[in-house]
Amino acid sequence: MAPTKTAAPGDLLTRVAEARQTGALMVGGHPGGAVYVFEGRVIYAESPAAPGVGELLTSSGRLAGRTWQNALDLGTSTARVGRLLVEQGHLTQGELELCVLGATYDAAYFALSAESAPVEFLPGATHWLGAVVHIDAAAVGREVRRRIRLLDEIFPNRRIDVAPVSPVTRPPRERVTVTAAQWELLVHADGQRTPADLAQLLGRAGYATIQELRRMAAAGLIELPETRAGDSPEFVRLPHPRGASAPVERTAPSVPVISGVTSPEPTARHPPPNSDPAAAVESPTAANRPPRLARRKPGAKLPKELATDSPPVHQGTDEVLLKRIRTALRALR
Amino acid sequence: MPGVDHCLQEAMTIPGAVGASIVDYTTGFPVATTGAAPNEDHEAAAAGTAEVVQAANSRSLFVSAVPHDLLEDLIITTAGGYHLLRVVQTEFDSRLVLYVWLDRIRGNLAVARRMMQRLADELVAAR
Repeated sequence: MAPTKTAAPGDLLTRVAEARQTGALMVGGHPGGAVYVFEGRVIYAESPAAPGVGELLTSSGRLAGRTWQNALDLGTSTARVGRLLVEQGHLTQGELELCVLGATYDAAYFALSAESAPVEFLPGATHWLGAVVHIDAAAVGREVRRRIRLLDEIFPNRRIDVAPVSPVTRPPRERVTVTAAQWELLVHADGQRTPADLAQLLGRAGYATIQELRRMAAAGLIELPETRAGDSPEFVRLPHPRGASAPVERTAPSVPVISGVTSPEPTARHPPPNSDPAAAVESPTAANRPPRLARRKPGAKLPKELATDSPPVHQGTDEVLLKRIRTALRALR
Repeated sequence: MPGVDHCLQEAMTIPGAVGASIVDYTTGFPVATTGAAPNEDHEAAAAGTAEVVQAANSRSLFVSAVPHDLLEDLIITTAGGYHLLRVVQTEFDSRLVLYVWLDRIRGNLAVARRMMQRLADELVAAR
C-alpha cells in the first residue's frame, strides 16, 4: 500500500492507468472521493458530493429501498450488485450502464478536480457494484478539466460549490425565470444545506446541481457566500441570519408617544427615555441577544442569573444539528 | 440484454446512419459514441447537440409552457444530412439524448424516427 501523500489526483490516475493497474484511488480533502480502476480503466467513482448509483435509483423511486438493500446483501461480497439487479429483472442493462456512467463522471469531477489533495492508491481494491462500464482514464481526466472550465464560464466563484445555499429574499429584478431544476433547489435551500446536501436530498447529480447554482448566482437569485479566512465546511454551520439584520435602534422610537389620557400640555415633549448613549454603544453586539426584559425601575438591580452577559451559544447549534438529522432521515426514507 | 453499446449498434442499422451517440445535454458530453461525427469530432458534436436541446427546452414556448408536454424529438435537416435527437427519459436523474446522423440520400426520416423511438424506449424500460 502506497503511503498517503499530497499530489494532484488526476496525475496519479494517469500513472495508474498507464501501468494498467487495478485498485482504488482514494482522494482525501473536501469533498474528496474514490476512483476505482480495473486494469487501467475507470469502472466507478464515488464522492460525498455526488449521489451514488444507489441514491440515484432509490431517491427517484426507480427501485424500492428494499430491492436495493437486497441486492447489496446478496452481491456485495462478490462485487456483482449491478449485475444482480439486471439478472433479477429490476433494471435493464441500458439503465444500469447509463446510471453508472452518469454517477462515475459526476463523482470523478469532485474527486479529481482538486489541484492538490492527499491521495493514496490501494492496489487490488474493487467496488461492490462490479465492473459495469470501462471508461478510458484519459477521457475522464479530460472531461473533469472541461467541466471545471464550463463552471467558470458560467460564474467564476468556487465557494458557491461548497457553501450553504441561501436564496435571496428579494430578487434583483421584476421578472424572474427559473428552470424546473432551479425551482427544486430554491424550494429546498434553507440557508443550511450545502450543494452536496441538496444533491443527495433530491437525488440529482452533484455537478448538475452546482451548475444550476452557479447560474442562479450569476442571475443574482442566491446569496454569494462570504469569504472568511479559515472557514472549513467540516465545522458545524451556524444558522445564516436571513433578513434578520434589522437595526437595533428601531426598538427605541425617537418620536414621543402622545397619549390622549395625559394632560394636554404642549410642553410635555421630553426626549425618549431610552436615548442614553450607553445603549447605542452596545448595539453592534445586540443582534443575537434574547428579547429585551421588561423595563425596570431606575437603580433596580437585574436578577442575579441574568446579570452575567452570557448569550445562549448552544441554541443555534442544536437547531442546526436537529435539522441535519431530519434531513438525513428524510433522505433515508 | 440491450446495453448502451448494443443500442448504438442498432442505431447504426437505421438506413442511412453515418454515426450515433448518447449525449448528456447538461454538460455536452458524449457518454457513448459510434461511427462518424460531423467534422470527425464527437465531443464538439455533443457540445453542439447540448446547446440545441437546451435552447429547445428553455426558450421555445411550445415545449416549456404546457404542463407535461415534454420534448421528444428534435430534427434538423441540412442539404447533406439529417440530424435526429431523441430524448432518453430515465426515471432516475439524468439528462440524455440519443443522436443519430443520417445521410440525406439514403436516409428516411419517418423510418429513422420510429426506430429511434423504439431504441430509446428499449434502452431504459423492460417493456
